[in-house]
Amino acid sequence: MSAVIELTGITKRFPGVIANDNVNLVVERGEIHAICGENGAGKSTLMKILYGMQQADEGTMKVDGEVVAFNSPTDAIDAGIGMVHQHFMLADQLTVLENVVLGAEPVRAGGAINFKEAKAHLSAVGADYGLTIDPDDMVETLEVGERQRVEIIKVLYRGAQILILDEPTAVLVPQEVEALFENMRELKAGGATILFIDHKLDEVLEISDSITILRQGKTVASMKNDGVTASDLAELMVGSELPSPETAESTVTDHVALSLRDVTVVDDDDRSVVENINLTIHKGEILGIAGVEGNGQAELVDAIIGTASVSKGVVELLGTDITSMSVRKRRESGIAYVPEDRHREGLMLEAPLWENAALGHQTQKPYGSRWFMNRAGTRAQTELIREQFDVRTPNVDVSAHALSGGNQQKLIIGRELTSAPSLLLAAHPTRGIDVGAQAAVWEQIRNARKAGLATLLISADLDELIGLSDTIVVMLRGRMVARLSPSEVTPRDLGAYMTGAATQDTSSPDTSSPDTSSPDTAGR
Amino acid sequence: MARLQKLHDVPAWIRWPVYALLGIFLLTVVQSITGTERLTQVSTSREMLRWAVPIFLAGLGGLFSERAGVVNIGLEGMLILGMWFGAWGSIEYGAWWGLVIGMAGGGLGGLLHAIATVTFQVDHIISGVAINILAPAITRYLSDEIWASPTTSPRTTSVGDWDVPFLAGGTIFGWESPDVLLDIGKAEWWFVSDVADLIRGLLRGTHWVAIIAILLVPATTWLVWRTRFGLRLRIAGENPQAGEAQGINIIRYKYVAVVISGALAGLGGAFISTELSGLFQGGNSAGRGFIGLAALIFGNWRPGGVLAGALLFGYVFGLDLKDLDGTASHALLLVNTVVLGAVLLWAVKRRRTTDAVLAGILGSGAFIWWLSADAVPSWWSNILPYVLVLLVLVFFSQRLRAPAKLGEPYRKGS
Ligand SMILES: Nc1ncnc2c1ncn2[C@@H]1O[C@H](COP(=O)(O)OP(=O)(O)OP(=O)(O)O)[C@@H](O)[C@H]1O
Ligand SMILES: [Mg+2]
Repeated sequence: MSAVIELTGITKRFPGVIANDNVNLVVERGEIHAICGENGAGKSTLMKILYGMQQADEGTMKVDGEVVAFNSPTDAIDAGIGMVHQHFMLADQLTVLENVVLGAEPVRAGGAINFKEAKAHLSAVGADYGLTIDPDDMVETLEVGERQRVEIIKVLYRGAQILILDEPTAVLVPQEVEALFENMRELKAGGATILFIDHKLDEVLEISDSITILRQGKTVASMKNDGVTASDLAELMVGSELPSPETAESTVTDHVALSLRDVTVVDDDDRSVVENINLTIHKGEILGIAGVEGNGQAELVDAIIGTASVSKGVVELLGTDITSMSVRKRRESGIAYVPEDRHREGLMLEAPLWENAALGHQTQKPYGSRWFMNRAGTRAQTELIREQFDVRTPNVDVSAHALSGGNQQKLIIGRELTSAPSLLLAAHPTRGIDVGAQAAVWEQIRNARKAGLATLLISADLDELIGLSDTIVVMLRGRMVARLSPSEVTPRDLGAYMTGAATQDTSSPDTSSPDTSSPDTAGR
Repeated sequence: MARLQKLHDVPAWIRWPVYALLGIFLLTVVQSITGTERLTQVSTSREMLRWAVPIFLAGLGGLFSERAGVVNIGLEGMLILGMWFGAWGSIEYGAWWGLVIGMAGGGLGGLLHAIATVTFQVDHIISGVAINILAPAITRYLSDEIWASPTTSPRTTSVGDWDVPFLAGGTIFGWESPDVLLDIGKAEWWFVSDVADLIRGLLRGTHWVAIIAILLVPATTWLVWRTRFGLRLRIAGENPQAGEAQGINIIRYKYVAVVISGALAGLGGAFISTELSGLFQGGNSAGRGFIGLAALIFGNWRPGGVLAGALLFGYVFGLDLKDLDGTASHALLLVNTVVLGAVLLWAVKRRRTTDAVLAGILGSGAFIWWLSADAVPSWWSNILPYVLVLLVLVFFSQRLRAPAKLGEPYRKGS
């Protein structure tokens, strides 16, 4: 075997932080090489440097034994490198085909894109690696897993032999992760080299041949994956034991915090995306919702927070009907919200951290009042969140886009949990957060639960869902199809309910009419 | 519902003429009720086209810029620059050169907008407004310097117009062909003659620039949706970071798009001064750059839609021009009533209560106004295009799709 990538002494500084500090990385040809490390360790930065999106301040890069200097992704693409980013880089309103060919369009004389040839090439690439996708679909209609497939095909389409996948599994459910790993093995068999980043250590151990660990911008270890255990890795990454999301004794009370009665939400085309949902969350209870993305969970959350209107049914918070209350009123009456897409709904990327910390709570103490923001109070509160939730940043004046993905997430969690909410809507709260910080977030949620917080938890991480929840309900095609007790269910079972392979007679009138299951999915 | 769905599957070149015929049918019916004749006269559609061309060119300019993510409220200013430079070029170098130089003048305005917004990240609206303020001032100064009159130029030359043979009596090599539409129009057949008249207005004395403008619809569709250039231009407006990650020089595409945008608005301006007025005159733009922007939104950022919007707005303005007693615009109120009634039905069917109530109130308002007055004041037709845009935004905004990153600052490597 020969080294296909050799990075030596890579250093990259940003104002106030050293993202990479003399990093060394050697990747053998044809291997799957995992990069691990806590949030802000510099993994994404290192990969962006290798992909030519950012330039190192110091250090040399060798690809295939030759020294290279990449000024833009074009150079890296020419050298056979492709990258799938932590935050997807797709245009929603373009088709799959358009997204894939972008930058490598086959053209006829005159500049017209040869879509026929492009399609043929795309399906050839797809067939080679067992990735199927309809090239004419609009990206906005795709599920997350499919989007990821588009991203991977995009890279393969250019004939990349070296693939960089930045946290590819963060947004996937277990079945999709399996499929992804299958694809990765095929790619490897075809001679490709894969570099990938992941916070889930069991996944790393399952798929990788070698592992490199970064900590505070430095390489702390690089090893072959044999005989290594998850706790070894955790020890190296964060210097502590592996956490688990086990919930302590039940704290569920009799006081109803949130109650939904017959809630139905329809989309623009009048199809129900959430149908006749009945559920109750008590103070001190965590209710987990399991489901493959796109089965109505997001719309259900939208209906509770108020960004989607309820076409039928009632939403009650602490006994008050909030069905037609404005979003701000709902926030002020104690709903905290961790959105599923931190970039779209959670942050203003161009604004400083302290402004982001006030987002959604700007009319409440200590951030401000009805008319004015309280700068000093907001900044102090931001510092508090930073400390309590370990948000790694040089100061609170940097803009949110300068934070690593996991630290952005921690800021959002901190903002929501410190607002003393009565109801927390948390969609994938630990998505992209490292194992150490994950434990801290779980701890915070548990403490809040003990103090009487009601939580609606959506998570693709089934261990987290099972470990934290007091009750789990499964959503499929907008309806509740099962209600399970976390102590009696395994991730496997849950997966079966989520895909509809297993069913449960929930014996409530709202889920027992199977006849109307087609209209909401048939048109897709 | 299912039938509507089917209508959507019909190819656009059949669908649009069907819509147009439906519209004319409505006008004919209203005309029969109200007694006015202007709604379907030859001169009405001729005026419509004359108004629509600059609106459309400005709107199409807006399409290029906004598809690349740059809001272009400076179209009005670029159109004014085109008016002046078009007139100047036409006087100095001849009619066709006038158009080219007018485009260059507008393109210069576009370049300024690109430098401000793309390179220096100035807010797009602020830069656009600045250009709108700057353009009349510059043209005033230049007129004063060159023509010794701040507001008007000498007569310009024009590239002229064309009559379509057979349909509208055009000549072929000196032989005068029959004028079929004229004969049909004269026959006074209900509806058929109205259609003939309206079409004849488009085909007789058709400005060459109008013909070019129509051809720009398929040309733009091809360029923006079928070519590599177009795909990269669109990614600049949809997700520039994604484009950058594929090695595309987003900044270059934004520049090119905004300059094209200015050039098209400039062509619209040159058309106004050299073809319509026959001279440069300050204030002659009559806000058509702004209305172009309205047509762009109305048309959902698509070339065919922009044309439809421009024709609709052109119709309202054109009708008003010959409507000194205000009776034709008055008849238009009845048209509004019917259209709002249709919106009401649509809203009821979709169970959109607020929309239905609003359409009902507005529709009955229009009807009551129509009943209670014999004429409408001209300010009404002046604001009607904007009212139309507002209504479209109110009722159909969920159907409208602006480019995802329209107006957002873009910085390389972030
Ligand atoms: N554009 C930028 N400007 C300023 N600082 C940045 C920028 N990008 C990254 N950083 C900083 O560099 C450090 C490393 O960030 P990076 O995104 O590489 O972390 P990471 O290892 O990918 O973390 P995560 O697991 O959370 O994604 C962080 O401290 C981050 O704040
Ligand atoms: Mg990262």
